[in-house]
Amino acid sequence: MYDIKLLEEEWKRYKKKKRKPLYAFIFSILILGTLAFFFLNYKNVIVSKFENNESVVVDKPKPSVILLDSALTTLEVKKEIIEKSIVEKSTNDNNVEIETDDSFTIDDPMRYKHPNAKKVSITVTEVIKKPVIVEKPRKKMHLNIIETTSASAYKDVAKRFADTSDTDDSLFLARTYYEKGNNKKAIYWALKTNKVNSNIEESWLIFAKAKARSGHKSEAIRILSSYIKRSNSVDAKALLKKLKK
Amino acid sequence: MKSRYEAAKNVFIDSVDIDDYIELNSGVAAYKQLEYSMDKPVKMILLFGRPGTGKSILLNRITEKLKHQKEIHYFDTPAINEKEFFHKLFKVLTKKDLPQNTEVNFSALVDFCKNLRGKREIIILLDEAQMYGSEMMEKIRLLSDTRVVKFIVSLHKTDDEDLIAKEHFQSRIWEVIELKNATQDEQTLYIHKKLLKKNLFEVANSIKEKNMKLIHVFTQGNFRECNKLLFTIFEICEYYDKNEPSKIKYENISRKIIEMSAIKLGYIDV
Repeated sequence: MYDIKLLEEEWKRYKKKKRKPLYAFIFSILILGTLAFFFLNYKNVIVSKFENNESVVVDKPKPSVILLDSALTTLEVKKEIIEKSIVEKSTNDNNVEIETDDSFTIDDPMRYKHPNAKKVSITVTEVIKKPVIVEKPRKKMHLNIIETTSASAYKDVAKRFADTSDTDDSLFLARTYYEKGNNKKAIYWALKTNKVNSNIEESWLIFAKAKARSGHKSEAIRILSSYIKRSNSVDAKALLKKLKK
Repeated sequence: MKSRYEAAKNVFIDSVDIDDYIELNSGVAAYKQLEYSMDKPVKMILLFGRPGTGKSILLNRITEKLKHQKEIHYFDTPAINEKEFFHKLFKVLTKKDLPQNTEVNFSALVDFCKNLRGKREIIILLDEAQMYGSEMMEKIRLLSDTRVVKFIVSLHKTDDEDLIAKEHFQSRIWEVIELKNATQDEQTLYIHKKLLKKNLFEVANSIKEKNMKLIHVFTQGNFRECNKLLFTIFEICEYYDKNEPSKIKYENISRKIIEMSAIKLGYIDV
């Protein structure tokens, strides 16, 4: 009789040897499949980027509603015009009628203030230079960053936003700063988001909440009312109700 | 307790026993061709094929079948030298033993054969003829030229030297019958018939079609290799049956056992 155990061992070795090409084949198929998957995805991204670039959507603000971002732009770009109008108006009449229907006033640290100007409300009834808002394809890259809380990560997101103007990034920063209690930065990033895309509801809500929490409740209510008029948002209404209590 | 595989194993002990002969279509065809050639006025017939294709058993069978009809003699083992061969031949021709301390004179033997022409026709079957030297083969040819002795020479076919030998024989315009390895169907029939002959139906049934295919791949349809492989398969089965019955399925011989047998016999190089 043979040594069956030895024979069994030899048979196992033989089976392993015989399966090697099969394993190699499966492995190479997997590798090729993965490469093909990444290649196709990469190609899709390139194509979609290209297509998006081709069809740039210019989001013009509606003439009836002066938006937060447009107001900001106006303030930033046309500060000299504002200065002039303040001076002119202050000489003629110290009390200026405020039209609150379709405009809102921003009182934040970034706003330019004339040193000699009296406390007046500025009515901006016409946008001189309309900003061009480009809808960018949304990226999901920020999801990775949410996991980290390091300060450098926020800086990286802010830097990336400066390069890409991705509202996902600015909204993430607004949300995160609001949750951390940093109202000033939350307002700043909410405005940045709104400047790129005024239709993102969350930026309006964060802006209003941060404003209210920093002591500017009436302004928050006014902004929210303005937003509700144009969007009829349920969440905005709920927040408004909460703020009014 | 005796394992069922022990009997199956013994079925495949390689032998040229005429009782173990399995009639297959190719074997029947070769038999008929040989029988027909023996009746023709050819001086020599060459039975040709690789080892294990059934040459010996065919010669054995034809001897058994025709021994009462013809003067037929089967030289199963080659003579170790010329002297011994002519001693045997002398006995066949004269039906007498050679007196002690005497030698056969080849010329006298040829003359004796010539005298028998028309009176007797003697058929001599020479198995393993590749063992005979060329000088002896020349003498055999001269004897066959007398037309009294007809030689059926069985010869191995290997890749090189015997092919040359075959050409050597063919140049003398002899009848050539070639035996080939069995096809898969023939081999399946061979295995089944062998087992059924010994009433081992269940064992025969446990060798499925895919097993037969594998066995044919390993043995290339060679009967001797097939016998060796099946003997080993049933020997391993017998071991498992006696020692580790959980490792064996009685209704189906596993591929593992066939491959283990192939490893054991060197068909698979691990």
